[in-house]
This record gives sequence, structure tokens and C-alpha cells, in this order.
Amino acid sequence: MKVETRNQSAVGAWEGFSRFLPQGVTLFATGLSGFLVILIGLPVAMVILMSLRTGFPGEDVPFTLENFATVYLTPQTYEILLNTLFFAVSSVSITLLIAVPLVWILMRTDIPFKKTIYVLLTIGILIPVFLRTIAWILLLSPRIGLVNKWLQELFALSSPPLNLYSLTGMAFVQGVSFVPGAFFMLAAAYRSMDPSLEEAAYTSGVGKLKTFLKINIPITWPAIAAVMVYLFMTAIAVFEVPAIIGLPARIHVLSSLIFTSTTPSTGLPEYGIAGAYGAIMLVLGLTLAALYVRLVKQGKKYTVITGRGYRPRELALGRWKWPALGFVFFYLAIEVFIPFAVLLWASLLPYLQLPSAEAWSSLTLKHYIEIPANVGPRPFINTLILMLAVPTITMLLSVLVSWIVIRTQVSFRGFLDTLVFIPHAVPGILMAVGLAYLGLAYRDYFPLYGTVAIIVLAHTINWIAYGTRTTNSVMIQVHRELEEAGRVSGASAPRVLGKIILPLIAAGVLNSWIWIGMLSYREVTMSLTLLTRNNVVISTVVWQFWGSGWIPQVAALGVILILFATIVVGTVRFALSRIGEIGSAS
Amino acid sequence: MISIRKLRKTFYAQQGVVNALRDIDLEVSEGDFCVLLGPSGCGKTTTLRCVAGLERPDAGEIEIAGRLVNAPASRVYVPAEKRAIGMVFQSYAIWPHMNVFQNVAFPLTQGQKRVSKSQVADRVRAALKRVQLDGLEDRPATDLSGGQQQRVAMARAMVTDSKVLLMDEPLSNLDARLREQMRVELRKITKSIGVTTLYVTHDQAEALSLGDKVCVMNHGEILQIASPNEIYARPANLFVAQFVGEMNFVKGAVTGPGKVESPLGVIAATVPNGVTTGTEVTLAIRPEHIEVLPAQRDGVAASTGRVTSRNYLGDSALLEVEVNGVTLLAKLAGDTALSVGQNAAVELPAHRWHVFP
Repeated sequence: MKVETRNQSAVGAWEGFSRFLPQGVTLFATGLSGFLVILIGLPVAMVILMSLRTGFPGEDVPFTLENFATVYLTPQTYEILLNTLFFAVSSVSITLLIAVPLVWILMRTDIPFKKTIYVLLTIGILIPVFLRTIAWILLLSPRIGLVNKWLQELFALSSPPLNLYSLTGMAFVQGVSFVPGAFFMLAAAYRSMDPSLEEAAYTSGVGKLKTFLKINIPITWPAIAAVMVYLFMTAIAVFEVPAIIGLPARIHVLSSLIFTSTTPSTGLPEYGIAGAYGAIMLVLGLTLAALYVRLVKQGKKYTVITGRGYRPRELALGRWKWPALGFVFFYLAIEVFIPFAVLLWASLLPYLQLPSAEAWSSLTLKHYIEIPANVGPRPFINTLILMLAVPTITMLLSVLVSWIVIRTQVSFRGFLDTLVFIPHAVPGILMAVGLAYLGLAYRDYFPLYGTVAIIVLAHTINWIAYGTRTTNSVMIQVHRELEEAGRVSGASAPRVLGKIILPLIAAGVLNSWIWIGMLSYREVTMSLTLLTRNNVVISTVVWQFWGSGWIPQVAALGVILILFATIVVGTVRFALSRIGEIGSAS
Repeated sequence: MISIRKLRKTFYAQQGVVNALRDIDLEVSEGDFCVLLGPSGCGKTTTLRCVAGLERPDAGEIEIAGRLVNAPASRVYVPAEKRAIGMVFQSYAIWPHMNVFQNVAFPLTQGQKRVSKSQVADRVRAALKRVQLDGLEDRPATDLSGGQQQRVAMARAMVTDSKVLLMDEPLSNLDARLREQMRVELRKITKSIGVTTLYVTHDQAEALSLGDKVCVMNHGEILQIASPNEIYARPANLFVAQFVGEMNFVKGAVTGPGKVESPLGVIAATVPNGVTTGTEVTLAIRPEHIEVLPAQRDGVAASTGRVTSRNYLGDSALLEVEVNGVTLLAKLAGDTALSVGQNAAVELPAHRWHVFP
């Protein structure tokens, strides 16, 4: 009996070759984690390293706290911190004031044109923030702003009545730009809410507005709070608005200060000072990210998942339909229509002017025709490289990470999940500065400075957090038993991956692939921080043109950028609507 | 066919250590239908998943068809795909990107023992016929009703003619009527192909009607393994008595051999061995063994009670009667003339009482 058992165990061990599989998975997970620790940790480590050194990157100097002394013993620093906080708080307030009613109107009521509004909101995300900022400058600048000129003509004013060059002006543009992102984050919470919760309020004799205030808002409060923290964290680190509006007016916030320290218009770059400013941003970012994660966890307790399929019942707006539509289209006007119209107008004129008979007769396509000559092929090729390489590498890493986090029992999967979330907390500008320092100081080991590859790297690190969030949720949606049924049917692990998991997650992965490609396409902060002569992309070209005061050329390129994004999103929406049906089933 | 010996599994959750399985022993002989019954979290699903190879036990051994598939002590672990089993999942796990044919054919085209194309078609058709789904081969899996998905899952589990079939609450997502119908069919199909079945459920009616053998579990332990009849008629302990079927419980104390003192008076019942005089015990009697009559019958001992509620079910009636401050539930075949508030004679046959320490 004893012998027999041993014999069988030997057979079992032989057949169970994949008893080595767990070791295999663990080994693979260890390798991947190690790679990601280096990928994500190194730029962050560089920021800390540079804050402890003076002089130019690569200079052999002893560690010092001099930078911190310079930064934190200057009263100006605290003024800038205050500016940053004011800017962040006002931006987020403006965003929520628009986004919360917008979500409620679109998710819970029968407002018409829903699909169109969704598409316009998506385009709203893809219009680069710096283009929107430029458009608002063309409207509200005291010197060249069209609205100011028009008001001056109309009322015979001696001075321009409006001035965008203030913290409030910055917060307005930034706040409006945050709305689509906030909308899509909140939409999930409102969509997953069981309509019977609202119905229970109605049958208790409570009115619709009171139900919104007493039921909807409290139930989605954790989600709103999480979005608030997330936006605040982002607002502290954004660069485009503070650079374009703030720098000329000498209104500094943390991010613009970090940028000017590393790429000053005169004098030598001071990476040490940038590092010392970066340290406070890093601490703020990590703290807020921790808070965000906590809030999201709390929010999950509130999520009422009933498991049965229901269509959210829509509230009939009745005569409130027109005010609601008015609100939505007012928002879309300041988010999409007006900036686009201004850019289009400016791109067709030899110089910026108010509409008049003379202006209409001088319309020209000259600036569009001259784009190839002005820009050259390099930026287009570089941008294309970004749009293909960044999403491919990001999604590849994301699928692998999510598979380990969601589907395996590897003991450190929680650590891996946290690790890939860190780029959410570390502002892109810091990552880029860290990478730039790495490229300059350790040129021999890391010979990427000045190449497109370093931008690809920066973008990949930045969006791996987003990529893994989406692959995580896609992977969770694929019921565990679908995979197990494949295993029990006798299919090996690679076969289950190829025949079951990949087909089921393909639509979701493709969707984020395109989305990350588009985000990479419109990104400017990191590309600008890492800019040299050879790795110019289209967004940095626009930025340089703007710096040189070439308004019609900026406008023409901007229009092309926006149109291209719109076409891509439109096509993808149409194409994915069919594949999406399969992906969403189960 | 399936032997489980000293199986142990511990989960380390955030809330602490969960002993999911504590040294489980179970033998299922060839062709038997064995049901694992217990409340949620009792370890029944963990046991099934260990047999499937989807969960790895910490200790113990599992043998399927004479082949050792799990023995952590000697580092034996055969992965799920090499165990040659069929399994039906609670969610059915029908792959939404394949049609009915592709779903059922998967084990034959992607599994360990692949067969020729023509054979695949034949066997898939035969499997679908067995579950009465012939003709639906080309239907997308997502267009099926719950009951149909359930049948596809069964066809897929049986298409390879594996010797062992594992089922994890396969009927729990169906509505009541369909569930009863499928119960009958399931038993018929498994018996006709002679497959050895291990079946997990928390529904006692399902367990009693399906199993050749029912295995009641709680807190990671097996409390009783017996035929459905035995489980119902002679529950081994208080938990089984409570979990399987309806039962009235009355507290009491043993006062002598075969004598238990209770609020209902001294009851002559068989006291289990080892329970000494003076021990506190729980008396139990099934509702259908209690007779409630308008007046006492000659020669039959009865207590006097008062009807406190009456619930008519069509084929039977449920009466609540209060006897000496104890509320007892009685199930009467057909109906009764008694109404609420009336006094009645309550017969409690001595041989129907169970005594649990």
C-alpha cells in the first residue's frame, strides 16, 4: 500500500509538470516588479537626488541641504505655495460646480442629444489644455483679446474691461478643462446607483429636487470627495495654464517654478532648486494620493451592486428640459465651441482682428498651406512614434500587471498594484525633470537624453497607472469561472490566455490603447521638459510658435490638432460600438 | 472513485485566519452522486475546488480514479487541466465570445485529449442532445436563457466522457420551477451515463432529492455522511437536525434512563449513549410527526395546547400550538378544522423524539 502510494505520487509529479508553474508565475512576477520598481522609482529617486546636489547634473559635488535652505528660507516660496493652493482650490470648485449637475443631468434624466454631448465631452478632453488657454488669451487678453476690443469699441471704453492674466483667470480656464475628466469619473458612480434607491424616496413622498439633494448627493458623496481629491492633486501639478497665462504675468505656482528652474530663459539650469521645490510637490502628491485611495475604498462600501440587470430609470425633465439643455450647451460652448471657433478664426487671418468686412475679405488658407514648410517632417514622425510606442508598451505592461494582480495568488501582488499607481501621485513634470536629470547626469549608462525614446519612457511611466486601472477593471469583469472552466476543460494556461482571456478583454484593451495614444499625442508638459533640438513633437512645436508670437500659425496647427483628434475619436467610437457589444456581454 | 483524506486548507484573510477545511475525509464510490451540503462558508465549495485542482490544499491527499492528484506532503499537484474532470460552475461560465457549439467543443479542441474534427461534431451534437439543446449549435452564447446556459454548461462538462463530474451550486441561479425540473433531469442524466458526481449546494431539498449520499458540512468539518433518508430520519447532531428539514426544539434535562424532563413534562425518549443523568439536552421533533386534534383520542397520550396561528398551504397546513408556554410547529396533511385560539389535543409520539446533548 505504502509503495503503491509512492508510485502514484511519482506519476502525479511527472504529469503535474506545471507544479513548477506557480514558481514560474512568481518568478515572472518578481522580474516584472523589479523592472517596474526601476522604471517608476528611478525618476523619483533622481528628483530626491538632485534636490541634495548643487551645480550642473553630473558634476561631482558632495550632498548638501543648501537647495532646501535657499528655497524654504525665502518668503517668496510661501507666497508661491499660497498661489498654488488658491489656484488649485478655485479650479476644483469651478469644476465641481459644473461637473456634478452635468453628471446628474446626463446620467439620471431624459435630456435629448445624450450621445452628441458624450462625444463633445470626449473631444473636450482631447483638446490640449494649452490650445484652450491660448484661445482664451486671444479672447480675454487686455492687449490683443477680441472680447476686450469689442467691448471697448461698443462702449467706447478707454481701457480693456477684462483681464485673463490673474489667478482667477487661470483657475477659470483650468477648472473648465477639468470638467470632462471629472464627468467620466463621476458617471460611473451615478450609473451604478440602483434606481430603486431614488424610487424609494419618491414613494416616501419626497420630491425630485429633494431626492437629488438628500439621496443622490449623499450616496455619491464618497465618489465626489474622491474626484475632488484627485483633481486637487492634479491641479497642484498642472503646468500648461500656469505657464501660458501665469509666466508672462509673473504669477508663479510650484509647477511653473520647477520648469523655469530647469529651463531658464537666461542663465544656467538649477536642477537642485527644482528638486527642492519638487520635494514638496512629491510629498503633497503622495499624501493626496493616499487619501484618494482611502476615499475610493470607502466609496466601494456605498456602491449598491444588486447583480440583476437594470436600466437606470430616467427622470422626465418636462419643461425643465430647456434650462437643462441651456446649461449643458453653455458649458460645451466655453469648453469646446468658443475655443475652437477662435482658433479657426485666428488661423484664417493674416493678423488677429475682430470680424469686419475687411477681415472677411482677407481670409486666407496661407497658414495651413505653410505648415509643412514651417514645421518640417521631424515633429510629425516623432509624434507618430509616440502615438504608437507609448500605448503599446503601456498596455503590454498593464495587461501583465493586471493579470498578476487580479488572477494570481502571488504574495506581493498588492505591492505591485500600489507600485503602478504611484505615477498617479507623482506629477508628470517631476517625472520628466527626474528623467532629464538621469539622462544628463548619467549619460553613459542612460544614453537617451535628447531622443524621442526618453519622451516615450516618460509618457509610459505616466500612463501606466491609468492603463493598469482599466486593465484591472476589464480583467475583473471577466468572471473568474470563465477562466477556470477553460482549465477544467483541459486547456493549458497559455491556451486559456489566448482563447478565452484575450478575446474577452480585447475590446477594452484596444479602447485604452487608442485613448493613451491620444493622450500622448496632446501631451506637452513632459515633452517640453525633455525638449532638445531632435525630439520636437507637434505639441512642442505649437508651444514654440506661441513663444515666438506666431499667432496665426499656432491657430492653424491647433485647428489641425483638434480636427485630427476628433476624427480619430469619432471613427473609433463608431468602430468600437460593435466590438464593444461582445466585450460587454457576460 | 474520489478519495479525500485529511484535507486541510487555511485562508489568511484581512480579518484573520480562516480554517476553511479541517481534516476532511470523504470517499465517493464509482457512479455515486454525492452532495456536499452546508451553509455558506462551511467549506463545501473549497472542498470541490480542491478536487478540481483550482485550489491547493495545505495538507491531505486527494485521489481521483486511483490517481493521486493532490498531496502537498510529497509535493504532488496535478493542475486542473490534467485531471480529466468535468465541472459545472455556479455562474455557468459560458464564454460569451463563442457560440453554443464552440463552447461545448472547447474541451475536445483545446483540451488534453483532442479528437478529429468529425468526431468533435458528433460528440458535441450527442452532448447537446443529451441536455435537449439539439439544434441550438449556432446560437451565440449570450442569446441563451439561464436554463439553456445551464444545459450548455452541463453538455460542456460531460462532452469528454470524463469519469468525474463536479458541480458547484449549478441550479442556484434558476427560478424555483425550473430548478425542480432540472433536478429530476440532472439525476436522470448522471445516472444514465454512470458518472461519479460531487455536487455542492446549500439547499437541503436539493441535497435530499439528488444525492445517493449527503455530506453535511459546517465550519470546515464534515458532520455527517449518510443516505438522504438517514440524514433526515437520524440526524447525527444538533446542527444537522437544524439544517436539514424543519425541526422543533425544546430544552430539557436527563432525569433517568430514557427519561427527559422538559416544559412539556417528562418525555420518554432514547437518550444517546454517554449522556448521563442531569445533563442538559435539546429535544427535537419534526413538525410532521406532531398530531394536533380537536379532542383527545382514546388510548393515545396527548398534551393540551392552544392554536396560535394557522397557515394553509394547499396540500398541508402549518399550525403553531402553544403547550405549557412552548410554541411547537405542526405540519398536518391536508387541512384541519381547528382555528386560531382554539384548544386542541397535541400528540407527541415518544419514538419520534431525538435527543441531542
